This record gives sequence, structure tokens and C-alpha cells, in this order.
Amino acid sequence: MSGKDTAKGILIILGLAVIVAFTANFLSPKGIALFGEWDKSQGVVTARAKDDFIVHELEIDNILDAKEIYDKGSAVFVDARARQAYEDGHIKNAISLPVRQFNELIDKFAGQYPTSISIVTYCYGRECEESHELAQYLIDEGYTDVKIFIDGYMCWEAEGYPLE
Amino acid sequence: MNSEVRRLLCSNWLELVARWVLGLTFLYASCHKIFEPADFAKIIYGYYLFPDFSINLIAIILPYMELFSGLALLLGVYPRSAALIVGGMLTVFIIALTINLIRGHEFDCGCFSFGNTGQTDAAIQLLARDTIYLFLALLVIFFDRTRRWCVWRRADFD
Repeated sequence: MSGKDTAKGILIILGLAVIVAFTANFLSPKGIALFGEWDKSQGVVTARAKDDFIVHELEIDNILDAKEIYDKGSAVFVDARARQAYEDGHIKNAISLPVRQFNELIDKFAGQYPTSISIVTYCYGRECEESHELAQYLIDEGYTDVKIFIDGYMCWEAEGYPLE
Repeated sequence: MNSEVRRLLCSNWLELVARWVLGLTFLYASCHKIFEPADFAKIIYGYYLFPDFSINLIAIILPYMELFSGLALLLGVYPRSAALIVGGMLTVFIIALTINLIRGHEFDCGCFSFGNTGQTDAAIQLLARDTIYLFLALLVIFFDRTRRWCVWRRADFD
């Protein structure tokens, strides 16, 4: 095979890959936007998939605001991370509701916390989406006042705020 | 070079094995990335190497480059071209792994599944594995005899 044929082969394979990739991404329910949001200063990072849970309007993007809500005791902080991560350390008095076990745990949670309460969900920080996913599930369950503390556990710990 | 080694490297059976191993590997590696593009985009972000504007584009295109290169290698359609693409991707993977290994940044390679944040040992294993794959790709690229079991043969040295 000559160099020319090799180059032609590369162009054919790459061309086919690009065409099919963009077509499949456009048609797939799991497709993502051409450009994501990867700047942490703008909020939680996300590929902006068609099926993602990111709602920036629900975000508390200032840790001082989250601390103020915490100090007032006006909302229940809910940890969306896996149970082991919660047990390793969490915001003091936060409730564990791992988003991956939501269906098996929500009935017990709903029995203890009526839908009228204020909830603040969190995960590790601006590189995780579990807090957004959990917030969406809680809203679907009828909770009307749900916010997302996007700086999460890492930032809370770094600030030296209460943990347990 | 020892004549036995030279004979082995020129064997079209060895070339076939190299081509199929690479083809199957890349075909398999593309699947979870195609089904979960958002997760794959996050893996690419986690390397902290690529500019923001490129992350989604890489996540959309790269899995299909793996898929079609893998298929071409398996079927023997433009095998040298496919091996060059695979070799290029492997070179980029090796450079990315090495940079993150040197700076001690733990990350999830996202090669065959998601959610395995790599420790240093795992990164070294990945490097060794990718280097072996790169050797296989070079074997296919520089093979200059008639290849076995090609669906579409353009010339004797295809």
C-alpha cells in the first residue's frame, strides 16, 4: 500500500468517525453539547448532557451563604455521596441520602422529613453532580424548597466549619 | 537482528494476532464511552490537560475513532491507516499518563470503564500496557508482506 493510499485510508476512517460521532451524539438521548461548562468559577462542571441534572438556579455558589443557612438551622443538609464517604466525614448534623440508593431510602427519609421543609444538598464540590441529581429527585418527590451547596464537603472542610 | 526474531516479526500470523488484539481492544474500549459520553467528558476533564473548549469535542469524536479503527483492524480494511490512527491515539495516551504520573495527579484513565481513580502503580501498569499496544501497532504499520484475512485487499502489501 502506498503512502497515498495510507493517507486516503486515514481520511476515510477519520471522516467516517467524525460524521457518525456527531450524528449519533445529536440523536442519542445521552448526547452532550458541543461545548461543556468546565470553568469551576461558573458553578458545577458539566458536559451539558441532554439527560443531566444541572440546574444552576438552585445553586448556592457562595460558601458564606451556605454557612449562614447552616447557622440559622433553617434547612436540613443532605449528603448525596455514598454511605462510606458520609461515614468517613460529613457536615455536622447532615443526613445521609446516597443518590445511588435513593429509591430504597426515600420512603424512610420522607417519613422523617415532610416535603414542606427546606433542604440543602451537597456532595464533594464543584466536580460532582450527585447533589444536583439528588435535588432533582427530591423535587420530583414533592419537596418544594431544595437548594444545592455546590462547594460541598471539600470546601466546608477546608474552611474549618463543623464536621463529624 | 537475530534471524529467528526477524522471521517471527515478518510472520503474517503474528501480524494477524497483533491486528486482532488491537482491533478487539479498541472496539471494546469504545463501547462504554459511546454509551456514556457525559461520563467520558468528565474523565477527560479530570486529566487537567485539555483546554475547556476541546473536552466535549474529544468526548464525542474519540470513541468513534476507536470504534472505526478497531473495526478496520479486525476486518483488514486499510489496516496500516487504522494502525497509524491507533498508534497516534496510544502516543497521546502515553504522553498524558506520563505527565500526570510525573506531577503526581491521581485520575481515572477511563480506558475500559469509569470510576477507577488511578494510584501510581495503576498508572505505571497503564503505561506498560499502552506501550505493548503501541508495539503491536508499530508491528502492523511496518509489516510489508501479504496480510492474512483481509476483507478488502488493495495491494499485496496492504
